[in-house]
Amino acid sequence: MFTCTGCALLCDDIEATVENNRIKETRNACRRGAARMKGCTNRLVSSIAQQPMDIESSIKKAAELLRNAKSPMVFGLDNSTSEAQAKGIQLARKINAIIDDTSSFCQGLLIEKILQKKLRTCFLDDIRNKADVLVYWGSDAQDSQPRHLSRFSYFPRGESRQRGYEEDRLAIAIDVRESNTAKICKGHFYRIPPRGDREFILALMEALSGKAPAYDTKNMLGLASILKKAEFGAIFVGIGLTYSIKNDFELLTGLADMLPKFNIMPMVGHYNMRGFNEALFKETGFVNRVKFEGKGVHDNKYAIIETLKNKSIDALVVVGSDPVLSLPSSVSSHLASIPVVCIDPCQTFTSRIATVTIPSAASGVESAGSAVRMDGKIIGLKKIIENNYLSDEEIIKRLMEAV
Amino acid sequence: MGIDIGKFLKNPEFEILITTFRDIFQVEALERDRFGEEYKKLSAIIIMSKNDLEKMGFKSGDHVKLANNYGSVVVEVKESKKNEPGGVGFMVNSPWSNALISGETDGKGIPEFKHIMVRISLSKEEITPIADIIQLTKKSQALF
Repeated sequence: MFTCTGCALLCDDIEATVENNRIKETRNACRRGAARMKGCTNRLVSSIAQQPMDIESSIKKAAELLRNAKSPMVFGLDNSTSEAQAKGIQLARKINAIIDDTSSFCQGLLIEKILQKKLRTCFLDDIRNKADVLVYWGSDAQDSQPRHLSRFSYFPRGESRQRGYEEDRLAIAIDVRESNTAKICKGHFYRIPPRGDREFILALMEALSGKAPAYDTKNMLGLASILKKAEFGAIFVGIGLTYSIKNDFELLTGLADMLPKFNIMPMVGHYNMRGFNEALFKETGFVNRVKFEGKGVHDNKYAIIETLKNKSIDALVVVGSDPVLSLPSSVSSHLASIPVVCIDPCQTFTSRIATVTIPSAASGVESAGSAVRMDGKIIGLKKIIENNYLSDEEIIKRLMEAV
Repeated sequence: MGIDIGKFLKNPEFEILITTFRDIFQVEALERDRFGEEYKKLSAIIIMSKNDLEKMGFKSGDHVKLANNYGSVVVEVKESKKNEPGGVGFMVNSPWSNALISGETDGKGIPEFKHIMVRISLSKEEITPIADIIQLTKKSQALF
């Protein structure tokens, strides 16, 4: 059995057949996971200034670029093993760099509240065994974490939920669109307008406290009644909700306080984003947006989007991430004017503009290690294929030695 | 030979709010080959309700230009298979939606990925190629 790195569910029940040193078939993996494990069409090659180069020279050049930078940044690591993340943080510390990851414009704030114990949470295994009421809020698990409902939440016959979804579990979707997950939550889909989460939460809190809210009174009272009766509930918070309430997490903590039988689960995409957040939190007290100046200093101005907009970085190391793809094009233009070092198993939009590219092994397929699941559980990753690609960990280690 | 007056007339523009979502088929295509046709085909689309399509005079398969102060792209319009009330267009998260997003975050570091106001109009142009969106690729244009 192998572990899939397609998303932060880290499904560890995957079977794989190997042919010609590539994964030919997988069993149990979802569509996304199978594609991840089978690998990309365009492998990254080692290069300097977009010209093929041996890997030692590329690492040496990358080190030189970082040495010459006054304000470098290390970004990404959410698709790297925990061991590589530890090295990445070490590298940032050594060169007094800013370090940030995709959680900066994803679920970082939510994970920070969870690590600060401001929100109650649990393991996915508890949900599988005990949960009777499931709320998918701004989260389309069916498309983003496709085995969530079948492995952990809705469909399994858990220890205390032997009658499964037919009788023992109830699933609710709160979303701006009728997502594939909402379709499964038949009769319990609450459609809200974009940015309508705040009003919905306030109305739900009123209903929970026994008042009749002005907003959608009948539905709110009905929902409050279901939530109050739950024996073990879970709210799966997707980025739909996180983006909508922005920094106003007091709203979510306020709601959670009124629902003592509910746990909050961050719905994470990248397979080891939580691992990065936990590692940096342990070291600095913050989950992202940190600049090392001896100690780690946190500020929103260290968010990748702000550093690009303000042109406040003069070199960037990207590990297992594609900011040119995932950030607004209006801010990513700064990347064209600074040296970029791209470490990735595959060619990406970022690698195509990078000064130095260093191909890495695909973790969980070509290199082993560990990662942190979306609920905080540590899961092992095995190596399935033997080849010569260096792991992220090894590349960062060599980069650190050369810098 | 008559004069095609239509070509001198600007297509009517409408305002629409776009929110982004994830699609497992598009993510699969991304994993496989983010430079490929399949990823483009599954990304460069806007899904709209039947009501909105009728109101704006579009039909599934039409090309539409989406534009605002931050960028402009041409994508294919598709009618939602779901019973959407309208007023909101849906785009899967991709460089085509990112081309329309402001970098302004009030210093908070999170752009409005799910709340994008655009002007929408019928277009005869081709779907915007990825290289045009990622304008910063000037130094390596040939590679795209």
